[in-house]
Amino acid sequence: MKQRLGYKQRLGYLALPLVMAAALTTQARADGETIAVFTKNQTNPFFQTVRVGADNMAKTLNAKTLQYIPTKPDSIPEQLSQIEDVVVKKPSAIVFTPVDYKAMVPGVEKINDAKIPVVNITDRSAGGKFLSFVGADDYSLGLETARFMLKSLGGKGNIVIIEGVKGSLTNVDRVRGFNDALKENPGAKLLASQPGNYQRLQALQVMENLMQSISQIDGVLAANDAMAVGAIEALDGANRKAQVIGINGTKEAIDAIKSGKLLASGDYNGFFQGCLGTMMAVRSLRNQPVINEIVLKPTVITKDNYQPFDQPLEQRTCPTFEEASKLGAK
Amino acid sequence: MTDITKEAPSPPRSFLSQDAIQLFYRLLAVLLICAVLAVLNDSFLSLGNILNVLRQASLTFFIASGLTLVVLTAGLDLSVGANVALSACVAGTVIHTTGSPVLGILTGLACGGIVGLLNGIMVTALRIPSFIATYGMLWVLNGLTYWYMAGETLHGFPAGFRQIGSGYLFGLPIPVYLLLVFLGIGTLFAQRTIWGQEIYAIGANPVAARLSGIPVTRRLLLVYAVSGTMAGLASIIFLSRLNSAEADIGESLTLPAIAAVLIGGTSLFGGVGTVFGTFIGALILTLVLNGMNLLSVSANWQPLVTGIIVILAVWLDMKTRRRAQ
Repeated sequence: MKQRLGYKQRLGYLALPLVMAAALTTQARADGETIAVFTKNQTNPFFQTVRVGADNMAKTLNAKTLQYIPTKPDSIPEQLSQIEDVVVKKPSAIVFTPVDYKAMVPGVEKINDAKIPVVNITDRSAGGKFLSFVGADDYSLGLETARFMLKSLGGKGNIVIIEGVKGSLTNVDRVRGFNDALKENPGAKLLASQPGNYQRLQALQVMENLMQSISQIDGVLAANDAMAVGAIEALDGANRKAQVIGINGTKEAIDAIKSGKLLASGDYNGFFQGCLGTMMAVRSLRNQPVINEIVLKPTVITKDNYQPFDQPLEQRTCPTFEEASKLGAK
Repeated sequence: MTDITKEAPSPPRSFLSQDAIQLFYRLLAVLLICAVLAVLNDSFLSLGNILNVLRQASLTFFIASGLTLVVLTAGLDLSVGANVALSACVAGTVIHTTGSPVLGILTGLACGGIVGLLNGIMVTALRIPSFIATYGMLWVLNGLTYWYMAGETLHGFPAGFRQIGSGYLFGLPIPVYLLLVFLGIGTLFAQRTIWGQEIYAIGANPVAARLSGIPVTRRLLLVYAVSGTMAGLASIIFLSRLNSAEADIGESLTLPAIAAVLIGGTSLFGGVGTVFGTFIGALILTLVLNGMNLLSVSANWQPLVTGIIVILAVWLDMKTRRRAQ
């Protein structure tokens, strides 16, 4: 087992210089601090926005980033060994998203022991010492997005929830938000809450199955955009209509909102998380004041406000420190 | 794998009858599941739901049918799901850039087939055990797909192309026709052609197969290429049905396909099993998930129930086969 893991890592290392070379060519030559940015995977577009945000801010501040991404999505052992690696390399600071908020605590402690300053972004780590936390709240993301849908349904109707991966922190909080929004609307009836594991195919099939026994579905609360789009495909296939919401604000979701197929998508602004995490790391290295905690307010992206999210990532701009201190700082 | 000589009786044809008995048990299981679900939920037996189940089972079946041939040779293809993901992303790009669904379909099938052939070459020429060769391939394919897609999603395909996965013909979903066609071809190929019988013989005893003049290397190459091409076909159905592709679709496809093969009674030791059994396996898996959705079984219990069914099916299979010998 141990040997195979080493083999995987080596494969990852082989790819790493290529990825880094590609990243560096698009970046202005910088001679400042090196910030190691840890994200969970290469598959979720959300983390792509985080990485672009981090790169953008580093460029502005004349620092540079090194991206650490597990080759197997959300792999705990792989992120642990990337931490071991980074502790040896000693970057100036780390911007860290744990692949698992509990399992990565020993990893964070390793970083702490190595005295490398570290900022926590996206998922709040269950332990370890951080300069700062920048993230959003999955609960309010679920709550606000579901509230928006229920409002557009006039507070009533038959609702189904399509859940993400059972037991994952994001799913638990989002679904709790959905359910609390439903409780505020006694006219709305929750008819099913079934798992789609964040996968579009599974969500499509779950929706097809539910439509067999539920003759009228008015609203679908999906815990991410891929599942929301899967549910819409199922509804279209059966010539049925329902209001559907997703979460993440992916490009696909924005397109679906523009064409009127998706009602809304909750977004917690991965781009800003990347910007602000990097900003706090660099500021602390330069002995400038930092904000200890920024919990970004969720944005419910709808057909009325999608324009800023429709821009290519490269054209978006990071907030300034003054703006950041107004963005839900505590 | 050293048990092969103990497990397998001599000529492959002689245990077709035993396969028939096994299939009978499986059909009984399907009827039993259907009966229970029909009692518990009114909508279960509706025509709409039956077509629904068949359409859902078809995707798993396409992947699992080619895989069945690999398992019949005592091999395993762990790269099928990752192959579906890469083929879907490549085929999707071709359709987007050329605007031609036909070119896209051909590219998807070719991409799947080439990956399968590479698996076959690793297994035959390099003599890497299939489990390891295809596991390595899984990583290679994931890496390629992640790099190629860079976190993006492909979506929006021509309406005509969408018909393949979502359309109907005379009231039946088009994937169900494809399911019947490939079920027919697969069954005839495995049971009624010399190549098919040679594949059983290779799985039952590779040494004896070689000595009796069967071109083992060529048959193995064929089997892996077919498995890859079926993954390519599945990628087209996926693309056309979901109207989108992203890099991580493969993760959720491999294990259900392997489960369908095993539930269907194909032995991991090779030489025993049928493509029809795999269809029943895919059907059982789909029925169980469909039933749990209709009955609103809690999300917590769904993977657990599926796991127990896989274990139970394989255990019952081994038990009844042992008794039969």
